[in-house]
Amino acid sequence: MRFLVGDEERRIERPAGVEVEEAAPGTFVWRRGEQVETFHCVRDGDVVHLFWCGRVYRFEVLREGRRAAHRHPAGGLEAPMPGKVTALKAREGQRVQKGEEILVVEAMKMENALRAAKAGTVRRIAVKVGDMVTPGAVLAEIE
Amino acid sequence: MAPPFRKLLIANRGEIAVRIARTCRAMGIPSVAVYSAADRNALHARSCDEAVAIGPAEAAGSYLNLEALLDAARRTGADAIHPGYGFLSQNGDFADAVRDAGLVFVGPPGDVHRRMGDKKGARRLMAAAGVPVLPGYDGDDQQDATLATQAARIGWPVMIKPSRGGGGKGMRVVHTAGEFPAALEASRREAQAAFGDDVIVLERCVERPRHVEVQVLADAGGQVLQLFERECSIQRRHQKVVEETPSPALDAAQRESLCAAGVAAARAAGYVNAGTVEFLLDPEGRFHFLEMNTRLQVEHAVTEAVTGLDLVRLQIEIAAGRPLPFGQDDLGASGHAFECRLYAEDPDQDDLPSPGRILLLCAPSGPGVRFDAGVETGSEVSVHYDPLLAKLVTWGRDRTEARQRMRAALRSTAALGVVTNLARLQAILEHPAFVEGRLHTQFIDEHLSELGADDTPPDEALAAAALALSRSPTRTTGPTPTADPWATLGAWRLV
Repeated sequence: MRFLVGDEERRIERPAGVEVEEAAPGTFVWRRGEQVETFHCVRDGDVVHLFWCGRVYRFEVLREGRRAAHRHPAGGLEAPMPGKVTALKAREGQRVQKGEEILVVEAMKMENALRAAKAGTVRRIAVKVGDMVTPGAVLAEIE
Repeated sequence: MAPPFRKLLIANRGEIAVRIARTCRAMGIPSVAVYSAADRNALHARSCDEAVAIGPAEAAGSYLNLEALLDAARRTGADAIHPGYGFLSQNGDFADAVRDAGLVFVGPPGDVHRRMGDKKGARRLMAAAGVPVLPGYDGDDQQDATLATQAARIGWPVMIKPSRGGGGKGMRVVHTAGEFPAALEASRREAQAAFGDDVIVLERCVERPRHVEVQVLADAGGQVLQLFERECSIQRRHQKVVEETPSPALDAAQRESLCAAGVAAARAAGYVNAGTVEFLLDPEGRFHFLEMNTRLQVEHAVTEAVTGLDLVRLQIEIAAGRPLPFGQDDLGASGHAFECRLYAEDPDQDDLPSPGRILLLCAPSGPGVRFDAGVETGSEVSVHYDPLLAKLVTWGRDRTEARQRMRAALRSTAALGVVTNLARLQAILEHPAFVEGRLHTQFIDEHLSELGADDTPPDEALAAAALALSRSPTRTTGPTPTADPWATLGAWRLV
């Protein structure tokens, strides 16, 4: 089975001597000999949510014929969560430093500053104050 | 004794609404939940005997809507309203409106909220009552030149604070006289935008302070008691993350004078009901009044763990006019308790909120473990509200046992579907400085690089997932459309 972990493709072979059974929906038992571990795993589309040994992991199932692809536009600033744009801190055409605030999105009572991932020039600001945004929407482009 | 109220409306949501409903059940008081359009099937809306829709998902039209809340109380015949924390819990106008509607507000009266919500006035009141305050300026002359002169007199670094407000909004630390004018202007602008008021208070900025606070209880007859202190130094962006009691920083003499100052502050405020007096503890061991929270705190559960009391029950009894059922000498604290706040936030992305659906929630349990959640498997974590999912509290004979129980409980708390701060909480509990009790409010920022977690799964974990996926069919999230049983079933027979 192939997984996409971050940007890295990981191919996993069936481990020898390990058995896994479903104990309850989303709850599984892992056995190797007499060693036993309870873990949780839920699949949501291609995204796998795993709770293993006290830690949470999130990765994707890579289906046959699909390849790991870069999904983030290099200089695009994406909305990481749904929310409302409350302030624009940069103008189109402005030179910005890496880490400089570009705009502010308010969600869950918190103001979240979205910052430039690299230094460059703001080519486009695609939103205005008051806009509601959805995750993944490109809010600004920096190159 | 008969229940003190006919019916109690809980003007809140999430874990605190669920927690208040539990006490109502135990006391035999019927309870009423309120819910926004986003919360119709939320856990809190199913935890009471009745549930009333009060408005749209946006809190301004629902959980902050005074009229809708009072209407819901009238319609259901509730004679008391518990505001929880956040939302309208410290709003004096709401407390007054509840009273004017002939109902009982479970909390202090409106004028107490207003008195303590004004930092300038509260500082003067505390200083007059002999409660230590930081060197600072709380005068009415708010001219730029006066403030600059006062800042220089106080000594750098100076903290600029809006007199009204909270949550760190508008606060600025200024290190030199040259930075002061620009910082003052920014602080006033933010305060005006957030709170509609730009009055400023100046205080000496204490570097690497601890946050300690005293839980107080006051009844209508004027008895004021303290339920010991909590330390809440582990914070991020002015938001508490881990709390404990007792504070590992205090010796018996310091504890006694801190708790006495808490009682003096509550008396000076004319306080009634449960409240918290917050102090900064400087590296020299001196404490200074910070502010008073005129409501129940999220972290009240650690106090409950060491005292064995139910603070919500006591709040309700005080609101009903009953005297406190004990005196100061009857109260004691035993053992040690921690609280960890589980937030739907991504520590790897500067604590960005992470809304979404909880695909699976497994609560920890065991001796001395309490898990107060506002969500369960299937819950939607909405963008409209605070990202607190649950509070996890552990109690032990001493700090070591309570910490060991917390570590184990965190390792068996599974929340899948939204990104949470679980790994960061685990890292904090393991950190050597935390283990030794060397805490201060910049702890997380200072140790940030050591609190990161490797989120790359080991091969063994991926193999487990691969086997699990092959065992269980693909699950899709979201409601599954089901056929109408009234249409598909014939007559029923009980067998």
